[in-house]
Amino acid sequence: MNASICPVIETRGLSKSYRGVQALKALDLQVQPHSICGFLGPNGAGKTTAIKLLLGLAQPTGGGGRVFGKDIVKENDEIRRRVGYLAQDPRFYDYMTARETLRFVARFFYAGPRAAIEQRIAETLELVGLADKADRPIKGFSGGERQRLGIAQAQVNYPDLLILDEPAASLDPIGRRDVLEVLCRLRKHATVFYSTHILDDVQRVSDTVVILNKGQLVAQGPIEELMARGQAAAFTLTVKGDSAPVEARLRSQPWVTGIEVMSKNGRVSWQIRVSDPDLAEVELVPLVLAGGGVTVCEFERNHQNLEDVFLSIVQGDKP
Amino acid sequence: MNANETLLIPSRVRGWSMGLANMLAKENTAWWRTRRWWLVCLVTLVLLNGNIWLNARGDIRIERNGVVFLEMAAMVVSIVAISLGQDAILGERHSGTAAWVLSKPLRRPAFILAKLGAHALGLLATGIVLPGAVAYYQLAAYGWRDLSPAGFAGALGLAYLNVLFYLTLAVMLATLVNGRGPVLGITLLVLMSGMMQFLLRPILNHAPWLTKVMPWMLVTGIDSKPSLGASLAVGDPLLTVAPIIATVLWCVLFTGVAMWRMRREEF
Repeated sequence: MNASICPVIETRGLSKSYRGVQALKALDLQVQPHSICGFLGPNGAGKTTAIKLLLGLAQPTGGGGRVFGKDIVKENDEIRRRVGYLAQDPRFYDYMTARETLRFVARFFYAGPRAAIEQRIAETLELVGLADKADRPIKGFSGGERQRLGIAQAQVNYPDLLILDEPAASLDPIGRRDVLEVLCRLRKHATVFYSTHILDDVQRVSDTVVILNKGQLVAQGPIEELMARGQAAAFTLTVKGDSAPVEARLRSQPWVTGIEVMSKNGRVSWQIRVSDPDLAEVELVPLVLAGGGVTVCEFERNHQNLEDVFLSIVQGDKP
Repeated sequence: MNANETLLIPSRVRGWSMGLANMLAKENTAWWRTRRWWLVCLVTLVLLNGNIWLNARGDIRIERNGVVFLEMAAMVVSIVAISLGQDAILGERHSGTAAWVLSKPLRRPAFILAKLGAHALGLLATGIVLPGAVAYYQLAAYGWRDLSPAGFAGALGLAYLNVLFYLTLAVMLATLVNGRGPVLGITLLVLMSGMMQFLLRPILNHAPWLTKVMPWMLVTGIDSKPSLGASLAVGDPLLTVAPIIATVLWCVLFTGVAMWRMRREEF
C-alpha cells in the first residue's frame, strides 16, 4: 500500500467486553490522513471505549488495530508520542494554572529549549482564548474554560492525530464555533478523530463519519456519501386546484412507493416517496400538469440532514 | 507548523523511564509548592518535638524520651505516608487525572516511581530530617550528653525505613483495590499491630518468626527486647539485622507489584 494513503487509524475486529458485556463488537475502522472524522453514536454506543483502546488506556479482548501503522497494544508508547487526546470530562491538577498545565504536558514531548516551549505554550493559550487566564489556578475555571484548556493541552505538541472525546460538550455557541475553527485549522497538519453528539457540528466540518450503535459499526464513509444515501428518495410537491385525479395518477406509477397528503389554505402538499429518484425528478412535474386543473406551487427534492440519517441508522432503519 | 516547531527538541527518552523526570518534577512541585509540606512539618513538629518537650517536664529518663520520640515518629509519619500513598493512586484513578497523564508519553512504572520518589523525599525531609534534627538538639539540651549523632541518625534511618514500608504497602494496595477503606484498614492494622503489644502478642504466640520478617522491631521494642532504633541511638550492638533486610525486600516487592498491577490497569 502506498504510504501516502495508509490510514492513520485502522482497526480489524477490535472488540472489548467488560465482565461479559460486549462494549465494542468487532470494529473495523479506517481513518485517512488529514481528514476530520466525526465519531457518532448514542450514549453507551462504545465510542469512548474505542478511543481508550486506541490510546492504550484499555486492552482489547478481541481483534486489534494500528495507529500510524503501530500496533495499539505493543507499540502504544510510540502512538502516544504523536497523539493529542481530550477526554470526555477533562480533569487536571487543580493547584496548577493553565500555563503550568500546558508546561507539564509539553515536557512529556519536548526536552527543550525552555524559551521555545514557553512560546509554544503562549501560542496555544492564545489559540484557545485563555491567554488572559493563563496564570490563574484551574480550580476557579468554568466548565467551558476547562474544555478550552483540554483542547489546548491536546494540541500543545502539534500532534499528527488529535483524538477528542466530546470536545464541544460544555461550550457555549461561541466556544463551539471556536473549537470548530481550531479543528479546521488543524486539518492541514493533523488528522482529527472526534466523538460528539452535536450532529450539526459534524455536518459543518467533518469529511468522514463513523457511526456506532450498541457497540457495532453501522455506517462509515465520506459525509457526502452518507448524506446521499440518506436522501431517502422523496419529493415535496405542492399544488393548487383539483388535486384528486392527479393524486390517483401519481399513485398508479410503479416507481411511486408512497404518498403522504397535507392540505392547507386551499393547497395540497404531497410527500412523495419514490424508488427511482432520477426518473421521478424528470417525470413528476409533467405528470402532474398533464391532465390540467392544477398549478404547481412548489417542487423540490427532500434533503435530509445528518440528524435524519443518524436517527434512521441507529433506529435500525438504514437508508 | 511554524518556525518554533523546528526549534523544539523532542524528548528522546524511551523504555520504562519515559516521562519519569517530568512526572517526578510535577510530584515534587505538588509537595513543595502547595501547603502539603508545611502541614506535614506542623504535624510532626507539634506531635513529635512537642512530645519531647512535654516529657522533659516529667520524670521520664532522657534516653526513654528519645526512644519514645523514635516510636512516635515511626507511627505518626507512617500514618501520614499511608494517607498520602493511597491518595496518590486512588485519588488520581478516581478523579480521572491518572487516565489523562497516562494518555501522554508516560510509562506506567514511571507513574508509580514518580509518586513513590516524591513522597519518599517529602516525608524524609518533613517527617524525619526536620523533626529529627530538632529532636537531637532538644535531647542534647535536656541532658542526653553522650547522644551520638551517628547513632541517632541511624535510628532515624530505621524509622524512615519503617515509613517507606507503609508508603509502598499503601501504594501497592491502592493499585490492587478500588476503595480507600480496604487500603487504610489493612495498612493501619499492620502498623498498629506492631505498635500495640496487646494486638501483637496473640500473633507472635502463633508465629514468633514474624518479628524477623516484619518492620515492627525497627522502632518498637518487643518482649523486653529493645528496638533496633533504640539500640542504635544508645550505641548498643544490634540484636539482629533480619528485620532491616526483610523490610528493604518488602519495599522492593511492594513497588514491583504496584508497577506490575499498574501496567494492567484499565481506565
